[in-house]
Amino acid sequence: MRGFVPFLGQRLVRALIALWIVSTVVFVVMRLSGDPVPLLLPPDAPTSEILRVRRELGLDKPLPAQYVIFLGNLARGDFGRSIHFREPALDVVRGYLAATLELGLTAFVLATVIAVPIGLFSAMRRNTLVDHVAMGLALIGQSAPTFFLGILFILLLSLKADLFPTSGRGDWRNLVLPALTLGAFTMASIARLTRSAVLEVLRADYIRTARAKGVAEVWVVAKHTLKNAAIPIVTITGLQFGTLLGGAVVTETVFSWPGIGRLAVQSIYNRDYAVVQCTVFLAALMFVVINFFVDLVYGVLDPRIRAG
Amino acid sequence: MELTRRDLLKGAAALGAAAAVPLTAGGPALAQTTQKKELVTAQSGDVSKFDPHFSTSSNDVRVSFNIFDNLVSRHPDGKLYPSLATEWKLEGQTTWRFKLRQGVKFHNGDPFTSADAKYSIERTYDPAAKTMVATVLATIERVEAPDPATLVITTKKPDPLLAARLAFYGGQIIPKKYVESVGNDAFNAKPVGTGPVRFTSWVKDDRAVLDANPDYWGGKIDMDRWVMRPIPETAPRIAALLKGEVDAITQLPPDQEDRVAANASTRVAGALYAGLYVLAVNSKRPPLDNPLVKQALSLAIDREAIVKELWRGRGIVPGGPIAKGDNHFDASLPPLAYNPAEAKERLKKAGYKGEEVFIETTVAYVAQDKAMSEAIAAMWKDVGVNVKVEVIEYSVRAQKNREKSFKGVFWSDPTSTLSDPDGMMWRLLGPGGPQDYWREAKFDELGNAARFSVDEKFRGQAYKDMTKIFLEHFPWLPVIQPYEDYGIQKYIDFTPNPNQQFEIRRFNFKFRRA
Amino acid sequence: MASSIPASAPADAVLPAPVARPTARRHRTPGLVLLGVGFVALLLVVAAAAPVIAPQDPIRQSLRGRLSPPTWNGSDGKAHLLGTDHLGRDVLSRVIWGSRVSLVIGFAAVLVGGLLGSAAGLAAGFSRGRMDAIVMTLADAQLAFPFILLAIGIIAVLGPSFPTLVVVIGLSGWVSYARILRSQVLVLRSREFVESIHALGGSLARVVLRHVLPNVLSSIVVIATLELARAIVLEATLSFLGLGIQPPTPSWGGMVQEGREYLDSAWWISTCPGIVLMVTSIVVSRTGDWLRDVLDPTLRGE
Repeated sequence: MRGFVPFLGQRLVRALIALWIVSTVVFVVMRLSGDPVPLLLPPDAPTSEILRVRRELGLDKPLPAQYVIFLGNLARGDFGRSIHFREPALDVVRGYLAATLELGLTAFVLATVIAVPIGLFSAMRRNTLVDHVAMGLALIGQSAPTFFLGILFILLLSLKADLFPTSGRGDWRNLVLPALTLGAFTMASIARLTRSAVLEVLRADYIRTARAKGVAEVWVVAKHTLKNAAIPIVTITGLQFGTLLGGAVVTETVFSWPGIGRLAVQSIYNRDYAVVQCTVFLAALMFVVINFFVDLVYGVLDPRIRAG
Repeated sequence: MELTRRDLLKGAAALGAAAAVPLTAGGPALAQTTQKKELVTAQSGDVSKFDPHFSTSSNDVRVSFNIFDNLVSRHPDGKLYPSLATEWKLEGQTTWRFKLRQGVKFHNGDPFTSADAKYSIERTYDPAAKTMVATVLATIERVEAPDPATLVITTKKPDPLLAARLAFYGGQIIPKKYVESVGNDAFNAKPVGTGPVRFTSWVKDDRAVLDANPDYWGGKIDMDRWVMRPIPETAPRIAALLKGEVDAITQLPPDQEDRVAANASTRVAGALYAGLYVLAVNSKRPPLDNPLVKQALSLAIDREAIVKELWRGRGIVPGGPIAKGDNHFDASLPPLAYNPAEAKERLKKAGYKGEEVFIETTVAYVAQDKAMSEAIAAMWKDVGVNVKVEVIEYSVRAQKNREKSFKGVFWSDPTSTLSDPDGMMWRLLGPGGPQDYWREAKFDELGNAARFSVDEKFRGQAYKDMTKIFLEHFPWLPVIQPYEDYGIQKYIDFTPNPNQQFEIRRFNFKFRRA
Repeated sequence: MASSIPASAPADAVLPAPVARPTARRHRTPGLVLLGVGFVALLLVVAAAAPVIAPQDPIRQSLRGRLSPPTWNGSDGKAHLLGTDHLGRDVLSRVIWGSRVSLVIGFAAVLVGGLLGSAAGLAAGFSRGRMDAIVMTLADAQLAFPFILLAIGIIAVLGPSFPTLVVVIGLSGWVSYARILRSQVLVLRSREFVESIHALGGSLARVVLRHVLPNVLSSIVVIATLELARAIVLEATLSFLGLGIQPPTPSWGGMVQEGREYLDSAWWISTCPGIVLMVTSIVVSRTGDWLRDVLDPTLRGE
């Protein structure tokens, strides 16, 4: 375990730095248009409000001082007040968070649950029609633009086939199409990855041993694949989280799913920048945290890391 | 008696008919009755304000008109009926005496008295309150409440339309004690009125929940709860109706009407809008400060094509600023002309040098607004106007409306609140009104004179003259007077009110129960 | 390691390498690469020749002929092979003209990203450590959140103009170039490398020109191809959200958005540009994959 702690420490530092950079970018972007006050207050706000916000943001002070104040506010969870909802931006975002987590988690679980068996099956039926079709679909899933995938699903599975509702959040039926859309890229990646891993395993010696012993091939393959593929799959998890979050922005918009992705886009249309900056920062925070845990698991799984 | 073949045949026919009746009654009829106690509606935008004096937008009016009552109410048949006032009388030239309904309680239990009526009315034109309805009751000189059951209103000059004014925006009665104690913001967050529904909860951009008022003076409405869901995108809104997730939807574009009509369980219900869809002009912004430019813009719009193609014929081309169905509507005025060659001429005469003309459009706030904007932009481009279409969110529009900061032209659906030009053209375009971007001395003089005259001939002439001025200066570019359509489930009995009120009081709204 | 794998989803098909590649992929026929390149070339020709090829004016409205399905003889007597949209504009012409937007922005963004990324990578490689740390931390941070949120944030504040779009989309992809150039420079600077050059009696300049440069170039070509697919999709996504190229200029993403309301009745408005976009994305990213297999298999992970 000697190398583990420095490894974790290094990861933690990187995470904090990444968060700091994101905050700085948000700070810069908000001031790109000049005065951030019109972005944060409704135009019919009384002068007392305007003065208060100017004081809170330190807009009468030089830029570096403003920056420090800004970081301080962030640390306290103060992202400003939503013009549209008339309450603190953080409260607004918190209300929409659950929906995104529900969608993201379902997408990821669905992706994994579907992709792994497909990858397994494809590898074991290598170069047959099934393999080609599966890998063809995986190709589409990885390259197709998410928003159009969603539109296609709505057109074919909801409007024409009437299997699912076209939009909104409700019962499990409302989850299916958005989760499939959001998880398409992850599903495709995991399927291809699993297939490669399985092919690798199929070539190995222990398969022949198992066959000789008469053990059911599938189980041996599965067990060894899992051992081999664990690391890359875990890696992909961390990677996919960023994809999922980014994809959520588009998927939620296409399906009118009331999560933070759609909230961010709507807030931009509403010129409600307090909510936008809050969403960006929270998304970054979530990503950094999850990545950190992925690295943790990675460290546990890969003894090379632990040894330093 | 011998059964002849004829008798047998008759009998068989009767049996067949009898058998057929349950079939037809049992089939589609099942879709035509319901046991529902909850009404779910969807409109294209969320409520922006529950406080009835701070917004006249249709998305707000539909809800706030049911939370609050007025002294007088206009029903879909166009007539005025008693509401919180049981009778009213004109005494002399300028004094109106209202007898108020007894035993009415606000949703919080406070009794309704003349003090509330006085407070509500005075608030609308109180400069400190800065309401959006400041010009509606501006004819009033003073309001007196001699006893809790009586209200006496004195107008500055003879005002024959006072009762009608009280029936619409600005006339909603709010509870004096409650508003004074909690303040405007809290009142807006938890509104209290006397209407058939009371405010229960509101999750922004998700739903507003209103429960039926069991003690409503007009009798409890035929439901226990009303949920209003904003669904801004047209396709999901219609899908929700067709799938039975909502009972009624508003802002139904003509393109989609066939689907709703063809669906077994839904139907289209509409009324000729008591108002116009116009592109209101911020005449303070060049080049829109030049009347010749605005005339050119009007001449360049092919309204016939818009009505025929985008609206499938469900609408009329207006001839002026007065809606069909109003007093003093001049049927002899020709529909606004389409003459692109003449438009080019006027632009040249105006010295137009290619300055940008902005169309700031919402999406589905006014039905088909975006599509009409794009069509009109192409028509204007064809005559050489440098036009830019910008899509803005509904909440941004509401903001710009309050601060009068539009960049060019923007969609507006002025409603004729009094069935009279005074309640539309003058209410909105008059000095201090919500669309006060342009002033013209003669126009103002005529508007004021017509407001206070009881001589209908004089008024008619005044409005004719105002129309002439209007058609020279175009503070609005009228586009269409459309049929406004709702999609509703067949088990609902509902007559749309031409003035966009979504009237669910007992006289107008019923679930068909088996 | 999670944070050191270039993530340019969704067109990026870089898989983490520890698992051996299936042998079938090792020798992708150059024929398929040619096909892919040929497709891009065809698209370029179509885009360039749009004014000539497109049967109609893409912004000409015809209210009478709106929402008409694909037909040889429309209400205006002309053929509308992909139908008309809600304002009567010919969908085929708009799709053809839309390719201009996708390609111009795509290539421009790749250029911007490539130049920025290469410069950053070179700076990182040649620096004495500080610049390197800065660049690599920035790269990590870039992966720290969904870039699209930042993109729409910037565009919302600055307004959707062509230069803003190109810079923002370009910025989304600089990391891959930076890594490649940085590692190449590090190799060049490594003592072993320099020593072996001297041992073999060659000059550094010659080695750089004959071996390193072609290597770097082929890596960059692969990355650029993959980035092109990603940039095209990102531009379409931004246009779909209303933050890209503004109407009435046709763009594939914008057209999909316009057709959303008519999905059940006039589905061709959304599906035609969407399918063209999807095919473009698939073909270009596949070409990138094949190029990588042919030119530089080491690009699969690190």
